[in-house]
Amino acid sequence: MPKRTRLSILLLLASAALVTACGGGEQRQVIQNKGSDTLVNVAQAWAEAYQTVNPVVVVAVSGGGSGTGIAALINGTVDIANASRAIKDKETKLAKDNGQDPVKHVVGFDALAVYLHGDNPLDEISIEQLAEIYADGGTYLNWGDLGVEVPGCQDQEIVVVSRQNNSGTYAYFREAVLGDKDFKLGTRDMHGSKDVVDLVEKTPCAIGYSGLAYATDHIKMACVAQETGGSCTNPSVATAVDGSYPIARPLFMYTNGEPTGVVGDYMNWIKSNEGQCIILEKGYAPAIEANCG
Amino acid sequence: MFEATQLNRKNKTRQRMFSIGLGSMTGLLILPVALIMGMLIYKGAPVISFEFLFTSPTNGMTAGGIFPALLGTVLLVIVALLASVPLGVAAAIYLSEYAPDNWFTRAINLAIINLAGVPSIVHALFGVGAFVIFFKFGTSILAASLTLAIMTLPVVIVATRESLQAVPMAFREACWNMGATRWQTIRSVVLPNAITGILTGVILEVSRTAGETAPIMFTGAAFFLPLLPQGVFDQTMALSLHLFVVSTQVPGMPEQLPFGVALVLISMVLIMNSLSIALRMYLRGKKKW
Repeated sequence: MPKRTRLSILLLLASAALVTACGGGEQRQVIQNKGSDTLVNVAQAWAEAYQTVNPVVVVAVSGGGSGTGIAALINGTVDIANASRAIKDKETKLAKDNGQDPVKHVVGFDALAVYLHGDNPLDEISIEQLAEIYADGGTYLNWGDLGVEVPGCQDQEIVVVSRQNNSGTYAYFREAVLGDKDFKLGTRDMHGSKDVVDLVEKTPCAIGYSGLAYATDHIKMACVAQETGGSCTNPSVATAVDGSYPIARPLFMYTNGEPTGVVGDYMNWIKSNEGQCIILEKGYAPAIEANCG
Repeated sequence: MFEATQLNRKNKTRQRMFSIGLGSMTGLLILPVALIMGMLIYKGAPVISFEFLFTSPTNGMTAGGIFPALLGTVLLVIVALLASVPLGVAAAIYLSEYAPDNWFTRAINLAIINLAGVPSIVHALFGVGAFVIFFKFGTSILAASLTLAIMTLPVVIVATRESLQAVPMAFREACWNMGATRWQTIRSVVLPNAITGILTGVILEVSRTAGETAPIMFTGAAFFLPLLPQGVFDQTMALSLHLFVVSTQVPGMPEQLPFGVALVLISMVLIMNSLSIALRMYLRGKKKW
C-alpha cells in the first residue's frame, strides 16, 4: 500500500515538526500583557529586556488599544493590561462583577504632541484653538482661521486627524482638550499612533495628535499654550515630567489585585531604574527620577 | 474558388479583434501578480539572509530576524490542518457517499456555504468566545488554529465533495456489483481516485491559513514574544500579524524590513503550494482514467 505509506510519512513529518518546536525542558512562566497601542512598543522593549533579567519568564505582548487591554483584564485573559487612560468606573464595576480587582500602576508619562506637516508655518497653538478645530460645534475649518496659509494645501481646509474611539489617546485628548465634548464629524480616525504621524507627514493640510515618541524628523510639533496668546510649551520628556506641558498624561498598567510572584517581580522591575530608563529611551517620560547615565 | 465576401472579411476582423481584446484582458490578470512579486523581490530581497530567517527580532523588532513569526505560522498551519482535514474530509465523504437527499442534507449544505461566507473577523470573535474563554484554552496556538480550522473547513469540504463526485458512478456500481460494501468501495476505489482533488482543497487551505491575520490576532498571535512557543497552549508570533506590526505599529522601522517579511510570507505560501501541486501532478500521472 504505497499510498498509505506516503500518508503516514506525511503525518510523521508533521508531528515531528510539532514535537521539535515544542521541545525544551525548563519550566517557563508566561505573563500575558495586552492593551494600549501607545504603550505597546515600550511593553515590547520591556519584554525583550526582561529576558536578560529573568530568562524563565516570557512576557507575551499584544496591542489593540487601551479598551482592548482593559476588556481582557475584565475577562481574566491577561495578567497585565496596558492603558493610556485611567480605567472607567463602569469598567471597574464590570471587573468586580467578574471577580477581578484592577490595581493601577503608573509606569510613565506621555506628552501628546500636536503634529503638523513640515511645511506648515504655524508654530503655536492653544488648547482653545485645538478645541475649535476638533470639537463638535468648533468653528475653525480652514487654516486661515488660525491666521496662516499652508503651502501645498489646496483649498486651505484643515484635514483633522484623530484616533479610533477605543484608543486611550482618543479618550485623553477628548478629556483634556475638548472638555469631554464630542469630536467633530468628518475626522480621519486612524488605528494607531504611528498611522496618525504617517498621514500628517504626507498631508500638508493635516493636523493630528499622537504620542511624542512617534515623532519623526520630517514632521513639525506645535508649541502648545494653555490660552490663546499665552506662553507656550514645547512637548518634550522634560516638560512632561515637570507638568508644564499642558497635554501630558500618565501611562498605566493594571494588574488583577496587588501583583505577586513573577508578575510582581516584573512590575517592580518596570518601576525600577532599569525599567524606567527603557521607557525614557522610547521617548516617554519616566514615572520616577530615573538615573540612566 | 471561394472569393471572400465583405461579410466574411467583417467576421474575420471582428474575430481577430475579440481574440486580441479578450487575450489582453487575460494578460492584465498577470499584471498585479507580477507587480506585487516584482516589488517585493526588489525591495525585500536585500534584507533576506540566514540571520533574518533564523534569529529572533532584537532592538524593538527593528533589527534581527523573524524566526519566531516564521515558526509560529508553520505551527498554526500544521495544527489547523490536523484539525480541519480529518473533519472536513469525513464530512465530505458522508455528504457525498452516504447522505440521502433530504431537507437535513440540504440544510447542512446551506450551512457550509454560509460558513464559507462568514468574514474572518467574525470567526475571530467566535474564536475568542468559544476557544479562548469558554473552553479556557486561553490565547494560544490551539485556540488560534481551531479558529483557522473552522474558517477553512468549508474549503476542504467543498473541494473534497466535488472531487468525490467527479469519480464516475460506474466505478462505484462496478465495485458494488462485486459485493463490496459502501465503505470498501469508498476506501479502495473512490478515495484513491479523488485524492488529487482533496489535495487541491488542502493547498487552498494552507494558503489561506498562512495569510490570515484577523482570526489569530485575538486568539493566539502576539505582538511580541521573547521566546519560542513550547506547546499548543502557548501563544506565538505569526508572519501575517508581524507584517502588520512592523508596517504600522513600530516607529523607526527600517523601510526594507516590512517588504522582507512580506516576501517571506508569500514565498512560504508559494513553496507550500508548489510542493502540493507537484505531489498532485505525480498522483494524477498514476491515474488510470
